[in-house]
Amino acid sequence: MTDETVMIDVMESRAKRREERRDLFRMLGGKALAGGTAALAATAATAQTAAPTDADILNFALNLEYLEAQFYSFAAFGMGLTNADLGGTGTRGEVVGGRQVAFQDPIVRQYAREIAADELAHVRFLRSAGALGSAAVAQPAIDIRGGVGSPFGNAAAAAGLPANFDPYASDNNFLLGAFIFEDVGVTAYKGASPLLTSRVFLEAAAGILAVEAYHAAIVRTVLYARGVATPSPADAGVASSALVGATEAISDARDSLDGTLDRDQGVRPIPTGAGAPAAQSATATNIVPLDANGIAFSRTGGQVLNVVYLNRAAVSQGGFFPAGVNGTIRTSAAS
Amino acid sequence: MNYDMAMIDALDARAKRRENRREFFKTAGGAAVAVAGASALAACGDDDNDNDTVGTPAPPTSTTPPPPPPAAAAIGDPEILNFALNLEYLEAEFYSYAVYGTGLSETLRTGTGTRGQVTPGRRVAFTDPLVAQYALEIAQDEIAHVAFLRTALGSAAVAEPAIDIGSGPANAFSAAARAAGLVGAGQAFDPYATDENFLLASFLFEDVGVTAYKGASPLITNRTFLEAAAGILAAEAYHAGLIRTILYRKGLDTPSLRAATVSISNARDSLDGATDIDQGIIGTADVSNIVPTDANGIAFSRNTGQVLNIVYLNSAAVTTGGFFPAGVNGVIQRSQQN
Repeated sequence: MTDETVMIDVMESRAKRREERRDLFRMLGGKALAGGTAALAATAATAQTAAPTDADILNFALNLEYLEAQFYSFAAFGMGLTNADLGGTGTRGEVVGGRQVAFQDPIVRQYAREIAADELAHVRFLRSAGALGSAAVAQPAIDIRGGVGSPFGNAAAAAGLPANFDPYASDNNFLLGAFIFEDVGVTAYKGASPLLTSRVFLEAAAGILAVEAYHAAIVRTVLYARGVATPSPADAGVASSALVGATEAISDARDSLDGTLDRDQGVRPIPTGAGAPAAQSATATNIVPLDANGIAFSRTGGQVLNVVYLNRAAVSQGGFFPAGVNGTIRTSAAS
Repeated sequence: MNYDMAMIDALDARAKRRENRREFFKTAGGAAVAVAGASALAACGDDDNDNDTVGTPAPPTSTTPPPPPPAAAAIGDPEILNFALNLEYLEAEFYSYAVYGTGLSETLRTGTGTRGQVTPGRRVAFTDPLVAQYALEIAQDEIAHVAFLRTALGSAAVAEPAIDIGSGPANAFSAAARAAGLVGAGQAFDPYATDENFLLASFLFEDVGVTAYKGASPLITNRTFLEAAAGILAAEAYHAGLIRTILYRKGLDTPSLRAATVSISNARDSLDGATDIDQGIIGTADVSNIVPTDANGIAFSRNTGQVLNIVYLNSAAVTTGGFFPAGVNGVIQRSQQN
């Protein structure tokens, strides 16, 4: 294009994408990142020439869908996925933790059930013969316990919430637990979108991306509405009046894990700028976390793993995946 | 069974893409369209590695017959982004009037094709301050989408066509509401009159935007634009989720709101062909239906023809109508014949 601004934007986007591809390739090189010898460096160089296949990408997504599906399934129904939905390649692990939430708000219960059904459908779709089929990875070990020392507890503590945080203890806690996952899912699928080569899988991934965004909108909208409601809805967990601040703290914690860019956003309202036309409200909500172009953010596979491993370093296990995810995309980014 | 549905969906998607290209060939006859297309695409260039080409017709002279339509012309990224830009103009104008009482600024409306005027809306006097905040947020996002697409397209960006977001009985919103049975014959549906009407009007647009971007996703060849389109798809899905969640909660006290979404959804399905790809927010007694998905938990697609069926408010193959009284700008103009 002849328009200079467009050229600059496009070139910057491409530069960012090259960076992201390099991140991905570094991940595929695995432990070679840890400053190895010449031999390891040679191994890393070889690995860096291999682009992720569609199967690699879909399997990466499948690991995350296992995590979400188990969390929501336990929270909504008190039970997890059955073996028929969990086998495959790699190291099969079990899920620890998870129990049914005693929802006080029947609408929140309805949302939990709806989201649980969607996430199970995603697991089944990715595992199906039309997608990964026999190449699907098995569920790795997943830890969705609450309480002190658990991944949820540690994530909460990093966000300044009580270290004994239990996402199954109340409506608000469930919503905050869901909040930890949903925006990450959106950014993961968006980051993967330009990497898929099959147009069929691309359209399917776009459709899952959309659904994760719908989910995130539900969770963010309810958190905000409960957060500002008067009277403040009673809750046995995190107080409703503290919810908006809690989302900001969790968002900041995610940003602290996945690199130097500050892109993650909680649901605190955003005051309108000085030059903007007058509207009835002086502040806009921030249900939808977007950049200045109104576009959702991306995360690389490595950055997603920083968040779910709860580690800003390049590691291959931790947090919600105590033995790491299965498949070839398994190392977090060195952030 | 998942395998069957996945394969059927996959085959459907491919069939739709071939349909879109055939539609393009049907509508792109004539040198005038070819010249316009060629200059726009020449300005943009084609920086991917596929074999899309644009035919450059010979300049007409008095002694030679008119050049044939460019057989190699295809729907490329600029055409798809311009199609999206038309829809973003519509959404941005609606939310801008509802929130600010004015439309888009002049600098965001110029471009190629036939520039039109907006039959305006007006500012909503929101009674729920939260809805006022949500409306402001969405308005800012849609205006940002217009600005982004215009920047991406540069001199190839289409101008804003004629848009009808008026509130009288002869305007498009009222026609849509009558088709959905929300108001009777000759009656008006005024989307600016109440919070609820504003939310239902938003509902009319947002899910359509999601299906449009999803349907377009496998057609975009440039990977940078693809990632951006995925980011706009996500934004529209967040918007739709927000609107549907608000309607669902308000529908607890006002069940007619939930029923209205089902009516609007059925009306959209009646316009865009035989498949049932649209859902209101009523689920079951135990489960909400905030997220319209297929059996795989995947959002639906619409092709460009189907999107135009809805915004033209016509189930037949036409090039004008409804919210776009003079049609959209660009080469993708025709709704699907259903």
